[in-house]
Amino acid sequence: MSYLHSPYFVFTGDFVSDVSTVNNDPAHYNNATFASSFQTPGSGNLNGWWNPEGGATFGFQNCRMKQLSSKEGTGDPDFQDPIFGAIISSAAGRNSGKMVDLDPQWQMSSQLWGVSVFISTSDGELLVSGNIKATGFRDLQMRQQKGARVNGQPLGGMWTSVLENVVWGDRAADSPFLQQLKAASASNKLSINLSGYGYYYNHAADGRFSLGRIIGTIGPWLENEPEILSPYRRLYGIIQDANQNTFFNFSNFLFEQQQQRLTVDFSGSFPVIDSIGTIGLNSKLYMAVSKVPVTMPAPGSANVILASDEIIMIGQINYDAAWLNNTGGIASFTDLPDDVTHALANNQLLLLTPGSGGNYIVIAREAIDGLVLRADDFVCRIDCGQTVPVNLYAYQWGEPLQNAVITINMDPEGGGAAAGSQSQNPLIPVCDIPNYNTPVEGISFSQTINTDANGYASLDITGNNVNNPRGYIDGQIYTLSYALSGQQPDPAAPGNIVSDGIFIHVRNYFEAPANPSWSDISEIMVQFANLYPIMSKYFLNFADPLALFSKKEILKFAFTRDITDPVYMPVTRDLSEAKKQAILNWLSADQPVVDIGLAGAMAAEPAKIRNVPEAGAPIPEKQAKLKRAVMMKNGALLSYPEIDNLFEY
Amino acid sequence: MLKIEPKYIVEAVSASSLEELFPLVQNAIELEHSTIPPYLTAMFSFKPNTGNEIRAIIHSIVIEEMLHMSIAANILNALGGRPLINDKSFIPEYPTPLPMGIGSSEGLIVGLNPFSINIVQSIFMEIEEPENPIPPTLMLAAEASPEYATIGQFYMTLSDKIQHLAPDNLPGDPAKQVTSNFFSSSELFPILTKEDAVNAINIIVEQGEGTTHSPLDPEKELAHYYKFAEIVAGKKAVVRNDGSYSFSGDPIPFDPNDVYPVYSNTKAKMLIPGTEERRRVDEFNNAYSSLLNGLHRTFNGEPGYLDNTIGVMFDLKLLSEKLNATPFPGQQGYTIGAPYEWFPQP
Repeated sequence: MSYLHSPYFVFTGDFVSDVSTVNNDPAHYNNATFASSFQTPGSGNLNGWWNPEGGATFGFQNCRMKQLSSKEGTGDPDFQDPIFGAIISSAAGRNSGKMVDLDPQWQMSSQLWGVSVFISTSDGELLVSGNIKATGFRDLQMRQQKGARVNGQPLGGMWTSVLENVVWGDRAADSPFLQQLKAASASNKLSINLSGYGYYYNHAADGRFSLGRIIGTIGPWLENEPEILSPYRRLYGIIQDANQNTFFNFSNFLFEQQQQRLTVDFSGSFPVIDSIGTIGLNSKLYMAVSKVPVTMPAPGSANVILASDEIIMIGQINYDAAWLNNTGGIASFTDLPDDVTHALANNQLLLLTPGSGGNYIVIAREAIDGLVLRADDFVCRIDCGQTVPVNLYAYQWGEPLQNAVITINMDPEGGGAAAGSQSQNPLIPVCDIPNYNTPVEGISFSQTINTDANGYASLDITGNNVNNPRGYIDGQIYTLSYALSGQQPDPAAPGNIVSDGIFIHVRNYFEAPANPSWSDISEIMVQFANLYPIMSKYFLNFADPLALFSKKEILKFAFTRDITDPVYMPVTRDLSEAKKQAILNWLSADQPVVDIGLAGAMAAEPAKIRNVPEAGAPIPEKQAKLKRAVMMKNGALLSYPEIDNLFEY
Repeated sequence: MLKIEPKYIVEAVSASSLEELFPLVQNAIELEHSTIPPYLTAMFSFKPNTGNEIRAIIHSIVIEEMLHMSIAANILNALGGRPLINDKSFIPEYPTPLPMGIGSSEGLIVGLNPFSINIVQSIFMEIEEPENPIPPTLMLAAEASPEYATIGQFYMTLSDKIQHLAPDNLPGDPAKQVTSNFFSSSELFPILTKEDAVNAINIIVEQGEGTTHSPLDPEKELAHYYKFAEIVAGKKAVVRNDGSYSFSGDPIPFDPNDVYPVYSNTKAKMLIPGTEERRRVDEFNNAYSSLLNGLHRTFNGEPGYLDNTIGVMFDLKLLSEKLNATPFPGQQGYTIGAPYEWFPQP
């Protein structure tokens, strides 16, 4: 999807994400060891984290169109077009969109489901609307160099997707810009990219609990392109601070040779000094082309210095404190000179700041050899026996990489506490945490696939019978790595901890009884009641069969919605079709069939976990990284960056 | 029994075309809606998992008010009019008399209050009082009271006028008629003919008031007035075959400690902009206005959109209950109520 291709427009504002957090801890899935304290706020696995009563809602607030790029160039607000001042919100009269994790043991790709986008004139008339295809965030990276103690989450992430079911309002006809956008888009889809940051875990004095800032870019969707992945060249940060934080970590950019134009998207990477997007950086920043390949460094090593004759300068990034909020942080360089245009076709783009002696320090460099390989539908829910295709796309210097061989590998067995629980207290173990990526025969897939002329390759993944390896959590999590055959992975690329992997939840084999009793579904319902107190407190106690049955009509309605519908139950979308059918069958009986009491259901012994990390076993490096990443994502950082002068040398 | 400002009856009686009835049916839609926020406020003011019996009773009444609102909107569409639901003017500014001046002569002011027996008795039962309430253990002969106009008379006048003015097949676009799996097809059905309209109006009146001979409506369900009376009596009603009844059934327990001290008639402006509490209140008003927008779409040519609005109703419930559990800054001892105010969309 081509959100940086003209014509595109940018909006900024807030997003609200009222995610639920009792399910952030795998141990909380164990009905046998569940305690009521897990439903109260507080960090640590004996509590329910920062928002136990969250309802998983996601939506836009206070979002306004800020900038556009069209045939005529970038936006001129004097240009009479109703897109200026447009309001971006969610469709009225419809349930709020949802944001959910794949699994307590894979929380690094939180997905948006059922989120609608409604773009209207400042007086509320529809310009264009659509629904965001479900997508998980990627490129989770450090955004706040300061001030994160206020909100609690210094990281930001990016959702890339398409708008489907696009509806053009009558007023779109009055907008030359939207007419261009419509003409440039294929299949009645649009591209959308959302950069979220400045998220609040804290009930701060500014009232922004559960809000974050968002920068959205909406552009055309072009035929033969990925849907929840942008086909762009990538810039990776290579400088780490003392706490191993990398700023300007991941940015997309588009180089259009014919138009002699470069568009670099810093919406998801530019450092800020507070939760609302104020820039405090005072370094000079330049874009340049490297004449020499830059492969250094593995993060953490010394700065990479380039002399002025090793680069071709493109230009300075002009930014001020309000640049992100006012423009979205997209830097555009037009009328590039011929030498730059020529060099950029197959040399790395660089983000530089001046060093000593007329040299430059490389803050970020393009992927080595301009190679980018990523999976499109990278978050998968697979029922036993089901086969799901995952599309991969390979690019070099922004062009499809044809006839390339891609190797796919399952990551080693691991996980346990590292994959989910944020601060296991070994003195107060709640229960064992299972490993994932086991058994290896739980999924089948080809280990090599080849790209076609469009750089595209499809990987079929089949879910097999995993035999309930996690006991109290349905199914199993598998993580796959992909690489271009014969290529060393780029040490600065996100890797599959932060997004460049394939993340799969394979559901247990289950056969829905035609006439189920309560004991057939009670474990599912008790777990649901435990994990989502917002439902059990304010809607009905899912652990109580009679209460459940009394609401059977509305429940049947919710359990039969399409998975893209925001009303779909369960909101977390983690039940197999067979288990969902069992619930529906139970609700469809004339009378509730209750064979065991509430106490019986609560006390049911969970199935045994078959793979648990050995006590005291050393955690492999990758697992340690994942654990740190999950902790950071969940706001369980012990310290927040307080850096006054990034890149001051 | 509440009086209606006579001019509305006069307007109905003197109408000489279907178009002249449109504003009156629009008023009926607004009237049916106007009781929903007060009833919901009382119902949601219970702490989680308490007052279940009372909640169930209020819930059954609220659902029927939603049905009546839908019926009234279907009638307006059937007559060829266009329901207006997504507008600030649609929402009462609580505390207030009901639409069409209903109750103003009796001094009845309806507000958004937490549940109490007193509110049920002095407000809700007043709203729902039939023309001739049947006292327990007695059954009075039905007798009209011609000297003042009532809600029931308003509906009956409407019904008469439709019979008099409308062709057998009503002129509205049948594709605009809304039905739902959540209501029986004997209650919410497409209104295509005069007869359909008359039957539909009877449902509104009888579910609200019961029949003149029994506290039960034709579906054998207790009419609203008597359901509220059950709450006040603290016992379920037992209705005999002859229509007499007594409050001698299962107990309906009530403990005042189960109710949050919700600040009556909370308004968004009472909360300081920029605070988390104000944001939550704004989010509630936004969801409520979003619901009205969704219903407006539903009743203006997109009947299938009703399913989308079901989710918003669910959002409203959760937002409301969370507000009711949140202390009201600056109002010691109170929690925040859901304001049910118009929030400009989008």
